[in-house]
Amino acid sequence: MIEVKNLTKRYGSNLALNHISFTLEEGTILGFLGPNGAGKSTTMNIITGYLSPTEGSVTVGGFDTLENPMEAKKRIGYLPEIPPLYNDMTVREYLSFMYELKKVKLPKKEHIAEICALVKIDDMMNRLIANLSKGYKQRVGIAQALLGNPPVLILDEPTVGLDPKQIIEIRNLIKSLGQKHTVILSSHILPEVQAVCDRIIVVNRGAIVADGTPDSLAHDLSRENRLLVRMEGAESDLHTALQAIPGVEHVTNLGEKEPGVYEFSVEGAEHTDLRRPVFDAAAQHHWPILGMKSSDLTLEEVFLRLIGGETSEEAEPEEKEAAV
Amino acid sequence: MTAIFKKELRSYFTSPVGYVCAAVLFALYGFYYYSVMLVGSTYYIAAGVYSSMFIWSMMILPILTMRSFSEEQKNKTDQALLTAPVGTGSIVLGKFLASAAVYGIIMLGSLVPAVVLSFFSAPNWALIAGTVFGSFLYGAAMLAIGIFISSLTQSQIVAAIGTFGVSILLVIVDQFSGMAGNETAAKILNWLSFNSRYTPFTNGIFNFASIVFFLSVAAVFLFLTARKLESRRWN
Repeated sequence: MIEVKNLTKRYGSNLALNHISFTLEEGTILGFLGPNGAGKSTTMNIITGYLSPTEGSVTVGGFDTLENPMEAKKRIGYLPEIPPLYNDMTVREYLSFMYELKKVKLPKKEHIAEICALVKIDDMMNRLIANLSKGYKQRVGIAQALLGNPPVLILDEPTVGLDPKQIIEIRNLIKSLGQKHTVILSSHILPEVQAVCDRIIVVNRGAIVADGTPDSLAHDLSRENRLLVRMEGAESDLHTALQAIPGVEHVTNLGEKEPGVYEFSVEGAEHTDLRRPVFDAAAQHHWPILGMKSSDLTLEEVFLRLIGGETSEEAEPEEKEAAV
Repeated sequence: MTAIFKKELRSYFTSPVGYVCAAVLFALYGFYYYSVMLVGSTYYIAAGVYSSMFIWSMMILPILTMRSFSEEQKNKTDQALLTAPVGTGSIVLGKFLASAAVYGIIMLGSLVPAVVLSFFSAPNWALIAGTVFGSFLYGAAMLAIGIFISSLTQSQIVAAIGTFGVSILLVIVDQFSGMAGNETAAKILNWLSFNSRYTPFTNGIFNFASIVFFLSVAAVFLFLTARKLESRRWN
């Protein structure tokens, strides 16, 4: 449905996007994740034809956005970061204007009513947009993107400014839209992307740093198998006993956490479960285990690791060494 | 294009802008009609009313166009326009036609006293119609310039003052022609002047060259505005 090839965007000497490529099948919800200024909005603006790429091409439904912009634009519903609303119009007037602007062919009254019911703004139809709360403005923005049932929806931070209840509603809405539409949404809120998207692309500094399903991303990046154990006993005995467990590659002493209680980080080979051997070793010596948790990376950690690139990854090992 | 035209026309009359411009111009028209009536001859409607109104109209027109694209850029609503399946040409034309329609309504309104006078006297309608047509032409050209300037900035104030500057220049440029020592320079200045282009209309001369001039100015600036919108994508 969407094919992005080698997208590069330069603002003067500043490289905002650096050779981004991906393809999206119909009916996928893609989450675009990245810190502020990573290039999420720029990518979306290029796909929608608001900006032009310095290099590369985008096709939407088979139509190139530069060579055949009208056909490509007809297939896209876009909610920009700041919803493009006219404050001096009522919701009804605005949607009716957007309906005409987009040259929608569906029966006007019914179509607008249907969409307003979907995003739950039907009781706000005669209010001036200027007087709406941020959450309602956001919904009017979403309604505007849905006009004409475009096969592709591009939503730039769709849940910003909504209250928790509305966020859940909008997420469910996006999920249900994802069955018929191809959706690209951007966010820097991880749980949101995790909850809604089939596929995640993480961008940082204008380049794709990861691409996959939420689970595969977390899995790929947490290949290392790490266990945090808190045990009571003599420090050096504990250390040697843990080290002696078959499958254990590295044991790091994280220090005395309670009087006589030490915490260790136990690292093993890939895909081995170290919890039972550790328990057995402790039982053998009658060392009480006061806590044990496997430190699988959450998506949050994956994200921070990906975008933290140079900063955190370099800093982390040093800290660990210092702790030893 | 029709969607944008309707939206723009609506916004002229849901905000005070359209009313304020019309009110100020109508008040001034009223004043000049009054002075023509003091003279007691409808012959002076063209020369007395419409030619005096030239300068005031040129001052008011920048207000009509100052928010045209500046406001869209500032509120980021241009994103909706530029990502909709509409060409930049139709966006610009829609906006231009809406502002021209407002000015056209004002011009029609300005004829009300002349119509009333026609019950008591026989004004020269051919002369008046020619003058109104001429007024509409310089207005259209000025509106196109104003729309272009507003596409250059996000600030309505900057757009308004910039357009004022251009409009003042176009009003007084023929006065420099006397000062220019060079004959060619004087010719060019005269050629550019809206004033010297418009004056023949008020004397009952239907000058084809002037019609082409005003229409070309409007076309050129509308074209430039469309290019400007297009070029923003490449920044």
